[in-house]
Amino acid sequence: MAKAPAPNPWTKPRGEAIKLKVIPRPQRTAEVQSYVPAFLKGMSITMRHFFKNTKEMVLGQKPDPVLEGLEEGITTINYPEEKRPYPERFRGLHRLTLRQDDSPRCVACLCCSTACPAQCIHIVAAEYPEGDTRRGYERYPSSFVIDELRCIFCGFCVEACPCDAIRMDTGMHATAYDSREQFIYKRELLMSFTGRDGSRETANPRHEPGDETHPGVTREHMEH
Amino acid sequence: MTGVEIVLALVKIIIMIAFLLGLAPIAIWADRRQSAMLQHRPGPNRAAVYIPSIAARGLVAGPAVLFAAVAGFTALQKLSDRAAYEGTIIGIQLGIVVAWFSLLILWRVIRGSGAINGFERLIGGMDPRNIFYAGLAAHLVGLFLARSIPRDAAPVSVRVVLLALTVLLLAVGGYGASRVPDGKVAIRLAGTLHPAADALKLILKEDFVPPNGDKLLHALGPILAILPAFITFAIIPFGDKLCFGDDGDKVFGFADLGLLQRTVTDSFQCNGHVVNLQVANLNVGILYLFAMAGTGVVGAAIAGWASDNKFSLLGGLRASSQMVSYEVALGLSLVGLFVIYGSLQLGPMVEWQRQNAWGIFVQPVAFFLFLAAQNAELKRVPFDAPEGESEIVAGYFVEYSGMKWGMFMAGEYVELLVSSALLATLFFGGYTLPFLFRDGITVAFGDTTVFQYKMTHLSVSILQVLVFFGKTIVISWVQIFFRWTLPRFRYDQIMKLGWTKLLPAAIGNMLVTCIIVLAIDSAPAGFHEGLAIAGQVTHGILVFGGLAAFVAIVAGLLEPVKRRQFLQSSAARFAAAAGGTKSSPQQA
Repeated sequence: MAKAPAPNPWTKPRGEAIKLKVIPRPQRTAEVQSYVPAFLKGMSITMRHFFKNTKEMVLGQKPDPVLEGLEEGITTINYPEEKRPYPERFRGLHRLTLRQDDSPRCVACLCCSTACPAQCIHIVAAEYPEGDTRRGYERYPSSFVIDELRCIFCGFCVEACPCDAIRMDTGMHATAYDSREQFIYKRELLMSFTGRDGSRETANPRHEPGDETHPGVTREHMEH
Repeated sequence: MTGVEIVLALVKIIIMIAFLLGLAPIAIWADRRQSAMLQHRPGPNRAAVYIPSIAARGLVAGPAVLFAAVAGFTALQKLSDRAAYEGTIIGIQLGIVVAWFSLLILWRVIRGSGAINGFERLIGGMDPRNIFYAGLAAHLVGLFLARSIPRDAAPVSVRVVLLALTVLLLAVGGYGASRVPDGKVAIRLAGTLHPAADALKLILKEDFVPPNGDKLLHALGPILAILPAFITFAIIPFGDKLCFGDDGDKVFGFADLGLLQRTVTDSFQCNGHVVNLQVANLNVGILYLFAMAGTGVVGAAIAGWASDNKFSLLGGLRASSQMVSYEVALGLSLVGLFVIYGSLQLGPMVEWQRQNAWGIFVQPVAFFLFLAAQNAELKRVPFDAPEGESEIVAGYFVEYSGMKWGMFMAGEYVELLVSSALLATLFFGGYTLPFLFRDGITVAFGDTTVFQYKMTHLSVSILQVLVFFGKTIVISWVQIFFRWTLPRFRYDQIMKLGWTKLLPAAIGNMLVTCIIVLAIDSAPAGFHEGLAIAGQVTHGILVFGGLAAFVAIVAGLLEPVKRRQFLQSSAARFAAAAGGTKSSPQQA
């Protein structure tokens, strides 16, 4: 005789009544059936929302979408009349920072163009003319070109720069142009951009050759 | 029919069509605007027309200068004693409205763009609710002030008041124009330009006809759907009867149009020519309306059939079965009203409500039955199974595009407006206001008269026309709200509701009403007087309830809000430093 199969908990046990769990029907009282009280309640809710939001829109009391974005009400940003400001560390278009005398801080060391994974920076280095105090210490970029269309905005150039000469703190993003040439930013344009604080320089002090604070060797050391 | 009667009929038809066609896009806008406000989003406000600021200044100053010119011209006219007295009261009240309303607008402008002088700093620092309350107090003071002016001083006082109103309007217009910013000004009109742009787009759009569909019927569908909506408005009175005098020839000619009676009695005894402010005064009255509304089903059915699309056919079938079913309940729910009003014509119905009580107080059950049946007739939410998006895409107009689709859309909103006008006429007193009679305002309970103020025939008539259109707009606004509140009924629920709930309830309501009316007819005279006083009490409740609701709503709307700022990100700190989120020049 075959062995009796194991009892299946999902089927009815032989000879036993099915255990029922009675789920009560939803209460359909006359109030619910007549539909009118629930309808009036719903209308009051929709009207409350309508009046509240309309009033705030008309009286200019809408919550500020960025400052009060967690408040009740319409917190949609009405672009382009309203724009969410970029965060502090947003990497925007590049700028070349300047020295006190409005010449670029860049010493044309080519660190940035070497670090650039997109190879979008091209620098032509040049010597300062004879008699300039910086001649022999530093060079300068006679041409500094960034292809903003090719740039991937990784920020490696800023990290690589030993002189704090290139920054991405303009807070600007690339605008739409109608030709590729317009995306190629030249030295003068890059030097004309300001940081978010409106300055063309940086907070880091620059120590020119000949200054008291210049940390490196001086021309006198050449004698040795 | 004389020539002047034909001209008047044409004018009435033009008023009717202009009202419906002008308000249909505005109703569409209100629909979108409501949905946006309920869902906490800005809504349709991107459509803009940019005009130079000189034109914007003209737009601000123009209406003010126009009204100032009207007021000044009236001040220089020689007015009769009555007109001068009425002019004084109206002038004072208008001046107060203009004053507090423009102060509120100025408060809003200061809030947006900052104060530029000491006066603006004073206004900007005020709670707007106080401006409103001060305005209300000024209205009351102005009313008592005007009534205390002796009648023989009226010709002088009206000049003073109207000249002051002229100066006030000019000052408001001039200051408003000076506050318009320089440069290009965007005119958005709260998004009402959106439906205008939509209509333009629909007209220019391709009109696609299904290749295997029935071309003739496909074109006929939208026309048959929109036409009944327009012609049912013909029998709805949008104002009271006008009484013109006669110039002696006993024929209604163009010369009689200038002889509008100065006053009429409340019982309206007119010796000259009577003009109904109603396109067609049919003796079958509302039966015509049911007959014409019944033909609306043909448009939907034909559109569904001619489109050569199974979704369309299903939609057309649903529409026709639903509309045919609910017509029965629609008609029967109103029989109780006919029994009480004792007429099928809409004019006498409105008069009954003026003399006794509004229809919603005598037949509240009929109101809800009629509202439900009418929404089902209009195929509006919650009865919009014929165009249920989740099942049959758009129902019977799925194959329509361009202005043909636009006609369905406009037709739906025209029907909504007509149904609102009908609701206003049947249940909300039509063109009447509580206590406003043909000879002026008389607040009386039983035999005791509380307040009486005589008005001219012209001013009562204009007020009544405005009241009718105002009631229609408010009721259609509330009806649009149904759409954003109620979920759609299933098809079998719609059928069950119509045949097993509304129809028996309508018949029961009819029987109960008939029994009560019979009992009241045989009741003693004292009971009738009690009923009359009860009717006047309902009018009193309407007036005080309406005023209280108005004050409460405006005060609630002007209530300032407190908000908490969250400066958790550098972006929020930048925005806070700039004084709020706005377009910053550094970004593209």
